[in-house]
Amino acid sequence: MTCEEMESRMAEYWSLTLSQEEEVAVEAHLAGCEACRVEAQRLGSLWRDLARLPAQEPGAGVRERFYGTLAAYRDGAAAARLERPSPARSQLARVWQIAAGVALALAGAGAGYSLRSSQKANAEIAQLRGEVGNMRQLVALSLLEQQSASERLRGVSWAYRVEPSDTEVLSALLKAVNHDPNVNVRLAAVDALRPFAASRSTRDAVMQSLPGQTAPIVQVALIDLLVDLKETEAAPELQRVALDNATDVEVRQRAQWALEKLQ
Amino acid sequence: MAQVSAGELPKLAVLFERHHRALFRYFVSLNRDRELSEDLVQDVFFRILRYRASYDPAKAFTAWMYAIARRANLDRARDRRAEVIGIESVVERRGEPASAAPGPEERAVKVQNLGLLERALDLLPADKREILVLSRFQEMKYEEIAAVLNCEVGAVKVRVFRAVRALEQIYFALEKEKAS
Repeated sequence: MTCEEMESRMAEYWSLTLSQEEEVAVEAHLAGCEACRVEAQRLGSLWRDLARLPAQEPGAGVRERFYGTLAAYRDGAAAARLERPSPARSQLARVWQIAAGVALALAGAGAGYSLRSSQKANAEIAQLRGEVGNMRQLVALSLLEQQSASERLRGVSWAYRVEPSDTEVLSALLKAVNHDPNVNVRLAAVDALRPFAASRSTRDAVMQSLPGQTAPIVQVALIDLLVDLKETEAAPELQRVALDNATDVEVRQRAQWALEKLQ
Repeated sequence: MAQVSAGELPKLAVLFERHHRALFRYFVSLNRDRELSEDLVQDVFFRILRYRASYDPAKAFTAWMYAIARRANLDRARDRRAEVIGIESVVERRGEPASAAPGPEERAVKVQNLGLLERALDLLPADKREILVLSRFQEMKYEEIAAVLNCEVGAVKVRVFRAVRALEQIYFALEKEKAS
């Protein structure tokens, strides 16, 4: 391998992505060529340092603008689609398409404008609502999967916008309550369970979550939720918490208070 | 993306959540302007929406997205006509020929000052900076970068190496300036 050929191998050599055969050839060249060896070491160090440069994060406005744009585009596209089937109304359809473009541009500029039509049949509106609900679910679910705690918190807040019958979002929230490493996310997820509390399974899940929690603040929030829901079936579990010496004293007191409230 | 292309617009939210930070970093690295970079992120997703029908599911989505990002950036840059300082001018400005740079042993010292490295990256010509951002920050495969830049894979590998070499020269020019 020549010094010139080394140029096309070095980046992969630093990234450890060369094939074994190529790596052996590169090492052999480096062993016999001091100039390349010194340069490979020097530049390799710089290559590694590049990965240490801090990444800049975009502002929260980026996300809002994107979802505003997406919603406006969907509304505009739906309106245009409704008008398109009739050739006689092609002129009107064009107007809708232009209107959709305007709505999109405005939303993109952060104006939050959304296009609405007063002439749409009920069925179409219901369909549109369903699609928007679907989008909210996707946003909530994808945010709840993010690495950053602040993103997951945003996911929890999106969970308020879905239908209480949405079992996928409910199970994502319960997963957050039970397993999220960040206490703020767990706490927010407990609060977000309220709209889902009509179902028996949600109430059972809240009760089951109580003994597994490690943070007293989350335990207190769960107890408060059970009281708000007037969940009398929680009494045995609350009794156990109130008498458990290993549990935080404030949590025990709260459990005792809850037992009195539920009687 | 295949689902977005087929009309499942809500799925775009998933792509947005997955890629918008990396795109933002790409644009900030190229332009050093947060506000402009946020606008460009919007531009990219807007274009993905508009041109979703032209996406070929057989090809990598990331490469397609960065090709769009690149075009969006060029469109904005055409208006701004940003002046890029080349490596020659940096060295020239300090009146130091390249051969007067520190010797190999001195240079082998690990880069400690990340702030200085960031400045050096800013001073790198735009095309070299871009290829470093794609390969190092976005961790794209060379095949994908080749598709974005519309060139051969072998050329990408050589260009990455030469960009690192140019970056190092600027870095040490800056370090020397700081020391004097």
